Amino acid sequence: MSSSTSLGVGRWLAGLLLAAALPAAMAQAPACPVKVGGILPLTGSMAPITKKIAQAAELAIEHVNQGGGIKSCPVQFILRDDQGQPTVGVDAAKYLVEVERVQAFTGTISSGVTGPIISAVTAPSKVVQISCCSSASNFTDGRSGGYFFRTLPTSKTQAYATASEVNRRGMKRLAVIYVNTDFGTDMLRFYRGAHKKLGGEILAEVPYNDNQPNYRAEVTRALASKPEALLLIGFPKDAVTIVREWLSQGGPRKVALNNSMRTMDFVNGVGGQFVEDFFGMDNAQEPGPHVDAFNEAFLKKWNADSKGPGVHTQYDAVMVMALAMNIAKDLSGPSIREAVRRVHTPGGTPVGTGPAEFKKALELIRAGKPIKYFGATGPIEFDANGDVSGPALVWKITGGQIVTDRTISLTEMQALTRRVEE
Amino acid sequence: MLGVASYLVFFLCVVLVLCILTMGLNLQWGFTGLFNAGVAGFYAIGGYTHAILTAAPNPQLMGNYGLPWLVGIIAAMLVTALAATLIGLITIRLRGDYLAIATFGIGIMIQLVSLNLESWTGASQGITRIPKPLATWFDAPLSYNLFYLVFMVAVVALVYWALERILSSPWGRVLRAIREDEAAASSLGKSPLSYRLQSFVLGSTLMGLAGALYVTFIGFVSPFDFLPILTFQVWAMLIVGGSGNNRGAMIGALVVWGIWAASGVAVSKWVPPSHAAQGAAIQVILIGLTLVLMLLYKPRGLIGERSVVSRHLVW
Repeated sequence: MSSSTSLGVGRWLAGLLLAAALPAAMAQAPACPVKVGGILPLTGSMAPITKKIAQAAELAIEHVNQGGGIKSCPVQFILRDDQGQPTVGVDAAKYLVEVERVQAFTGTISSGVTGPIISAVTAPSKVVQISCCSSASNFTDGRSGGYFFRTLPTSKTQAYATASEVNRRGMKRLAVIYVNTDFGTDMLRFYRGAHKKLGGEILAEVPYNDNQPNYRAEVTRALASKPEALLLIGFPKDAVTIVREWLSQGGPRKVALNNSMRTMDFVNGVGGQFVEDFFGMDNAQEPGPHVDAFNEAFLKKWNADSKGPGVHTQYDAVMVMALAMNIAKDLSGPSIREAVRRVHTPGGTPVGTGPAEFKKALELIRAGKPIKYFGATGPIEFDANGDVSGPALVWKITGGQIVTDRTISLTEMQALTRRVEE
Repeated sequence: MLGVASYLVFFLCVVLVLCILTMGLNLQWGFTGLFNAGVAGFYAIGGYTHAILTAAPNPQLMGNYGLPWLVGIIAAMLVTALAATLIGLITIRLRGDYLAIATFGIGIMIQLVSLNLESWTGASQGITRIPKPLATWFDAPLSYNLFYLVFMVAVVALVYWALERILSSPWGRVLRAIREDEAAASSLGKSPLSYRLQSFVLGSTLMGLAGALYVTFIGFVSPFDFLPILTFQVWAMLIVGGSGNNRGAMIGALVVWGIWAASGVAVSKWVPPSHAAQGAAIQVILIGLTLVLMLLYKPRGLIGERSVVSRHLVW
């Protein structure tokens, strides 16, 4: 029995070595096609929202290939599943970088998987990682060596903008109910600082766990502090339950919301007449052909609308990566890292989404001219930490409809950030 | 070829961490019959203790003391041992499935505490900047990982050697006697409770050590590292490799983690990206299928327990 056992293990090991050696032999062949990696939780608890995100990445790769590829080579997209598990994701990233020799990859969603990938693979191997969805604020604190970027605007922008609007409306004494995830705690942390700086006071901070049948205890706790107003940070489904509870317990009708509630599901869920003049913040997308073109292309390709978390930001993550790889003088990690910052050059020629625009961008790059990319989410300009900053907008509910109240321009945002952080 | 070598070195470092985990569980289940379903919890205690003590200072977190690496490793083992003693004192009287349920619950509790104790663990943000030992001596990731691999081989060899020594001693024979027939063992004047507790604490301490070694290798820790699926994986490794045999435990760690990694590679090679979502589901099916086949054809594991009672006994 023992001899057959060791034979089996030996055979298995040989198989592993062979499987690992084959792609490496191919990688040393000519540079075409250019390999680009992707890591997403295709299975596991995130799978339902990942499907569309993966489709957006696919669509972006297709547009890149139709528009001329990378350095005149077709692009090969190697997508790996991280199963929502850190060890699996890190292993996949290491494989992409070492065996497939990928110099840039996109991913992933869960911050718990993105974190170890940055510290164990991206930073030491000096490859570029662009995430569509990981929001944890400590990823862009410089420890990635500048190799980590993300196309979703951070909660900081939104938190500061919200604090400024809340202050403008005179809602000084506030209770906060927030979802207990990295998104919620991050928002609260940034909000707390800004709110205090602008002269307000937070009377109660009440966390909630999502998907509970009712939130009476949380709302009662928040109301016990006798606040003038409520800031609710969370997601629409639970927010409906919380706001109904808040109103039925006689809470003041002054409520500030975060961007997730900018949906008719929320308004209709509570009932339009009850949420009159509730307001919230969102990242402003400069509406225009670049956003519409993406939405249409997505609908045409997948026969589904492009609504959903991470879909637009994932498309931009891949497009930014492809543009940067074309701009970079060679396909090494440090060159691509440097080039990512030249995807949206002030004064450059604007380019949008879709294959034709990508082709136009390539022509400009070949001619040595600067480009200014407007993606599926709007202008994509990275700050020093690798985060996108952008304008914000204030929306409010009027007559059961969501309308834009006013926009906060990028310059105003920057001034606000300075004021809060000084 | 360098890339493949670099990947394999990284892969083996992870396998060696899992080897320590699996040997810890083997001491508990394979030799003493303790159904510990809270492996991830003890792994988490070791990992977080090390991270909190050694990570570079961060104004947002308590802890992050920036202590020397070795202090973190020793403290991780001590704290895990202490936690295991407390948990053991409460639960060790439970038999079989009941112990499994209790430890499973405790494992999840520990994970949830790490998710909510924000001022110490950073909650879902995790703890960053956990130093790697002697990292400044190496300039390339490959040379560093190679060093870490050699170091891990030494640690695993030491753990293996120590376990083999104590298991072949009278102490180890008592453990097996308790596993086989607790009444008989106590009739010979041995206290099953005391021995069960010792085995539980020692095995859990190894899990804590594994946690610290993993965290320092990756340089980051968050509650997502300690989801219950990890406990399942370690159990699969032990059962596939051969429970009651430390070499089996190590082979199991290599084979199961190898299947996990290789199936992902296979799917990304053979399934076109447009069907990646379906391909990923195939990967999960492949993992499950392989495990089931192994159990069907090798029910005692790849290397089962050596029969030391009598060579004439037929299994």
